[in-house]
Amino acid sequence: MDRRHFIKLTAITGTSAALTACGNPENQVIRFIPEDDLVPGVATWKPSICPLCSAGCGVIARVMEGDAEVFRKGQAGVIRMGLAKKLEGNPEDPISQGKLCARGQAAIQITYHPDRIGNPRKRSGERGSGQFTDITWDEAIKELTGKLNALTAGNDQASLAFLTKPRRGRRLELIADLLQRYGARPPVTSELFSDEVLRRANQLTFGEHQLPTFDLANARYVISFGADFLGTWHSVVLQSVAFGRMKQGRPKFVHVDARLSQTAANADEFVACKPGTEGLLALAIAGEYAVDAAAEKTGVGRATIERLTKEFTTHGPAVAIIGGAPLAHTNGLFQAWAVNRLNLAAKTVGNPGGLTFAASAPVVATRSLKELLDVPPRVLLLDDVNPVFTSPPAWKVAEALRRVPFIVSFGSFIDETSALADLIVPDHSFLESWVDAAPETGTAPRSKYGPVMRPLYDTRSTPDVLLQVAAGLAKPIPGLPGTFEEYVNAERPEENRVQHVPPGAKPRELANTRLTIAWTDPQFDGDTSQYPFHFMPYASQMLFDGSLAHLPWLQETPDPMTSAMWCSWVEINEQKARELAIEQGDIIEVTSTQGSVRAPAFLNPGLAPDAVAMPVGQGHTNFTRYATNRGVNPISILAPVTIPETGTLAWSATRVKIAKVGDKQTYDSLILFGGATRERPDWTHGRGDEH
Amino acid sequence: MNRTLTKPFTDDMVRPVMSTTVWFWAIVLATGTVVASGAAAWGYQLWYGIGLSGKRWPGFWALYLTNFVFWIGISHAGTLISAILRLVNAGWRRPVTRVAEVITVFALMIGAMFPIIHLGRPWLAFWLFPYPSAREIWPNFRSPLAWDFFAINTYLTGSVLFLLLPMIPDFALVRDRSTGWRRKFYGALSFGWRGTTRQWNRLESAMQIMAIAILPVAVSVHTIVSFDFSMANVPMWHSTIFGPYFVAGAIFSGIAALILAMAALRKALHLEKYLLPLHFENLGKLLLLMSILWGYFVFNERLTVWYGNEHHEMAVFWATQRGQYAPLYWTMVICNFIIPIALLSNPYTRNIIGCVVASFGVVIGMWLERFLIIVPSLAHKALPYSWGTYTPTPVELMIMAATFAAMILLYALFAKFVPIIAIWEMKAGDFAHAPRQGLAAADPHRIDAAAPASPEAAS
Amino acid sequence: MPFRWGMAIDLNACTGCEACVTACHAENNIPTVSAEQASRGRAMHWIRVERYYEGNFPDVRVKFRPVLCQQCDNAPCEAVCPTYAAHHNEDGLNAQVYNRCIGTRYCANACPYNVRFFNFFNAEWPKPLHLQLNPDVSVREVGVMEKCTFCVQRIKAAKTAARAEHRALVDGALQPACAQACPTSAIVFGDLNDPDSRVARLARSPRGTRLLEDLGAEPKITYLQKQPWHEPDAY
Repeated sequence: MDRRHFIKLTAITGTSAALTACGNPENQVIRFIPEDDLVPGVATWKPSICPLCSAGCGVIARVMEGDAEVFRKGQAGVIRMGLAKKLEGNPEDPISQGKLCARGQAAIQITYHPDRIGNPRKRSGERGSGQFTDITWDEAIKELTGKLNALTAGNDQASLAFLTKPRRGRRLELIADLLQRYGARPPVTSELFSDEVLRRANQLTFGEHQLPTFDLANARYVISFGADFLGTWHSVVLQSVAFGRMKQGRPKFVHVDARLSQTAANADEFVACKPGTEGLLALAIAGEYAVDAAAEKTGVGRATIERLTKEFTTHGPAVAIIGGAPLAHTNGLFQAWAVNRLNLAAKTVGNPGGLTFAASAPVVATRSLKELLDVPPRVLLLDDVNPVFTSPPAWKVAEALRRVPFIVSFGSFIDETSALADLIVPDHSFLESWVDAAPETGTAPRSKYGPVMRPLYDTRSTPDVLLQVAAGLAKPIPGLPGTFEEYVNAERPEENRVQHVPPGAKPRELANTRLTIAWTDPQFDGDTSQYPFHFMPYASQMLFDGSLAHLPWLQETPDPMTSAMWCSWVEINEQKARELAIEQGDIIEVTSTQGSVRAPAFLNPGLAPDAVAMPVGQGHTNFTRYATNRGVNPISILAPVTIPETGTLAWSATRVKIAKVGDKQTYDSLILFGGATRERPDWTHGRGDEH
Repeated sequence: MNRTLTKPFTDDMVRPVMSTTVWFWAIVLATGTVVASGAAAWGYQLWYGIGLSGKRWPGFWALYLTNFVFWIGISHAGTLISAILRLVNAGWRRPVTRVAEVITVFALMIGAMFPIIHLGRPWLAFWLFPYPSAREIWPNFRSPLAWDFFAINTYLTGSVLFLLLPMIPDFALVRDRSTGWRRKFYGALSFGWRGTTRQWNRLESAMQIMAIAILPVAVSVHTIVSFDFSMANVPMWHSTIFGPYFVAGAIFSGIAALILAMAALRKALHLEKYLLPLHFENLGKLLLLMSILWGYFVFNERLTVWYGNEHHEMAVFWATQRGQYAPLYWTMVICNFIIPIALLSNPYTRNIIGCVVASFGVVIGMWLERFLIIVPSLAHKALPYSWGTYTPTPVELMIMAATFAAMILLYALFAKFVPIIAIWEMKAGDFAHAPRQGLAAADPHRIDAAAPASPEAAS
Repeated sequence: MPFRWGMAIDLNACTGCEACVTACHAENNIPTVSAEQASRGRAMHWIRVERYYEGNFPDVRVKFRPVLCQQCDNAPCEAVCPTYAAHHNEDGLNAQVYNRCIGTRYCANACPYNVRFFNFFNAEWPKPLHLQLNPDVSVREVGVMEKCTFCVQRIKAAKTAARAEHRALVDGALQPACAQACPTSAIVFGDLNDPDSRVARLARSPRGTRLLEDLGAEPKITYLQKQPWHEPDAY
């Protein structure tokens, strides 16, 4: 009999005599509701695709009956309908394999978001004032058709531009198709954390203009150069599932970076490397660069490089991954190429435990945002992208958009970009419409699914609206399907080819493997003396590039490394901060040549002393009740440095200085869920209980 | 013996009951306003939820339970001290007992409110009562909170009886001197007291029984309050020292509260003739003793934790010793230990002012002690990721201020309606060499109105 | 034979991605409390991923550890609840009867794992967010404690389905939301009374430890400790 039982027994024997009711209180006294009276609801599961990133995870939605207030033809009413309740990974989907990341779990909140736009609207106030009046779909389509007809009449079809996300699939194909047949130029894609430079390098090295798929499950040695492949980079769920399988063995995972990201936190060894020199380390390990020179440039010790080289060559299958910050330098192409060389040296390309390239759908030709900004169109169609938020201020995206005479937004929310729209024709949520994806990774075939539930609002699927507009043009485009559903389900000859790439499939050509790219020093904006810190913005685990800041679950889910919720923060090396007399929560001003932002300090033991890091995601000025005026946007101080070969933003190439401008506040602007950062806090400084 | 307590004494005692001064109204108005604001704050909290307090994960107990323990501690002033002094027959207790016993009753009433204010759903507090329900659900008697419920109710009942019994003869006295509503009011309160010898004997034995019975109850009630903490496996709570530590602390703060109350009454009701420097000095000595005892307990508690060096406990230890809570901790040590010992060990400063200053410090220090027991421990439990902090909100502070005001208000009202010094006990004190005769002499309307012929005749 | 639900968490595989946290919110109608309330420490996460830094840059490591209700066999929270809102059910779960809770919050003090959360206010789901609420899980009102239930509604549904089909529960078919979401499958759930279940086998693993085992609460979650990599030659 242990202590608690003793207390229980004495208490019970003491009281049960008087009360006669208690026997074994655990089981008898408490049966408020007999278990048989609890009847779980009946649910059906319907498949769909997570729309939040380009990974294209297959999901299943739990659908249960419920009473929903819906809008039909401008009328509100309550009807009983199937409602999606929960998203899970689809066990039969080769990408998600029954699993889902935190962001994917929260995708359902898009459908039920209280600030979702429920009907077409037309601007009624000044542009950007946020004043809109409700209109009918007929009016909206008439208006849009009219604008397009006017372009056609002026033989100015090229002045129509379509700005969308770079998501491979039938949706983008349809858009490109329609644009081409209308006479406009290809769609423009915009993405902050673009991997275009890696695709370019893969094109040069392997002849594949796409991102690789890593066979982590069979790898025994993984070296990652800044790739947050378990958190935000590339196909996270697929990679995490494989990582979990890999961890059933005894692999070694080495992470090279200047900041301990969530992925780096899982590494068996963390190698600190000067930003922009990771490629040299890769080349040195591959044996194609002098170890001494590499040690000097990268700041990684000679002995470490030699040991890594030995381990990499002896503990295969080995694979090297690069992604994220190391690619966002002016020498990004070199960096990517150098890691490709390392993979070639490992001889695992196309082999188990290495990297492969999925046979993917034909790539739709797209244009870059830069092209759009240089020659503003006369009619711009915005498809749920927010370049005003995700572009450095020097690109002057908002100013360029203000010069566009007519902007139509298909997105479901008002954000910084769609607030400039003249006409809003809201899309269904992904659960209410036909969806498809052609993931770049894995062994995934194209997937396509019908709607999970009936629409809540008076919205329409954007591809359907486009088809309807196209059909109603003065010069109609012939031979169009009636709906996106027909388009998605129409067989296409080129799809009959093999969709699955078995593990071990060879890249199509390795002819360019002898190509060499010369090392160039990464260029930074801001000189070292005045701006002593590297600025490392990174994709927020929850809010990604800011496009998910409107989802309350993601706002309140703690960031894995800091446990921060609902806020922005500036990460500073813990010891460096002590030197600068900066305490956790102190308000820090981060200044670059482009401007400055203020946010509370988080003292991070896992960040290089000469760097400050900030998560991207917050700092929206206009993005639903959950994100508006919350925190600051680090992109707003990024210098407009681009990678020369691709024209994409080199978001790691800004240098900053910092200054403490305020003390910690009682109800902090730094909202942390967790307390101490260390399991055995050091009380000798009297600082152990900081939180 | 010098028979000082004749007619002017009775007049002095009854005067406040019969006439009302402006000061009385001023105090009632001032404290009443604060109490009303506190009630409004509580109403606000009831309406919107306990979230209006500053409590947060993981420290779900904070200011309200600090005040709960504090007031229960204050309540130990009266009944316990009074009972001990009565049992050892300390003559100097006589003007002090009622002042003290009233503190107990009011402090208990106030203290017992805090767990209810603290509840997430106070409207369901009645589920703590062991009442027979159709679903046969009883309170969980394994829970220290259920023990608390019974302990506090027992103590409150006992203390009320202990206070009321010796008030009966004095109520009768006021009844006999008043007319109109007062006569009816005090007539009802005096339960038909005629002052027969039989009644006196019964009163005396009842008081004796109560004095003996209340002692274990008083000790147990604060031990059980300490069980609320020491039963839970929380760093620096789970300690065997908590029972005696809490009882000692309670008596310590109780004496301090008593000294403050006495000093206030002395000034307000012009009782200089009856509440003598001697009383303060004696209580001051008691306070000094308790201060040393308190210091001994704290030393024990701290030393064992520090020497044991168990890392969960060390987190709390350092948080209070040199971390976030260090300023409060060292204020507590100064208030509870350094100031009382400095002032009260020196005969020159062990006067009324010295006692009052020391008591003031002790009341603050003991409040801080309760706070420092509850908050830092809950904020530093075993898993450092779940460490937290706590800052009180205006609602909590308002409610807390209201309880202090309520104490003053209740006390003012009590002193208004009841002679604050037990008239008959004081008179009986004059016959300390012959208690029975004293009792009889104390009765202003004894049936045999003739003066006692001799001590023998009365006994 | 009654069930004894338990869990094993492989710290080798946990990447700290927080998918379990969001999944738990989605499944269990856990409200988001707003930034202002979160800054006052009112955020509710039935499961949290504890993160501990070790060392300093560049020799820095991080330990992740998901912490949820450990469903203790000898649960400290149950004894202290004066109204039996916290109690042990037939399957060995620490059940919480929301309707019986009066909000003393004593259970949260007694819980050494700090996995209990309190409804400081009535939760809000601005329309139409309320349409997402799981009808199998009660929405808690102000003043009530809540915590991880091991997705008791899923357990109930699985039992009901099994009984309707006259079959036994299949190990692994029933998963709480966290385990189902976990991309690396670090979380394994099952019946500890079935010696062949995956979770029972993992619970016997030499890598298995219980969180704060010395406190004697007898938690039903086994943490499989992280193994540092070393040269295979070293064996």
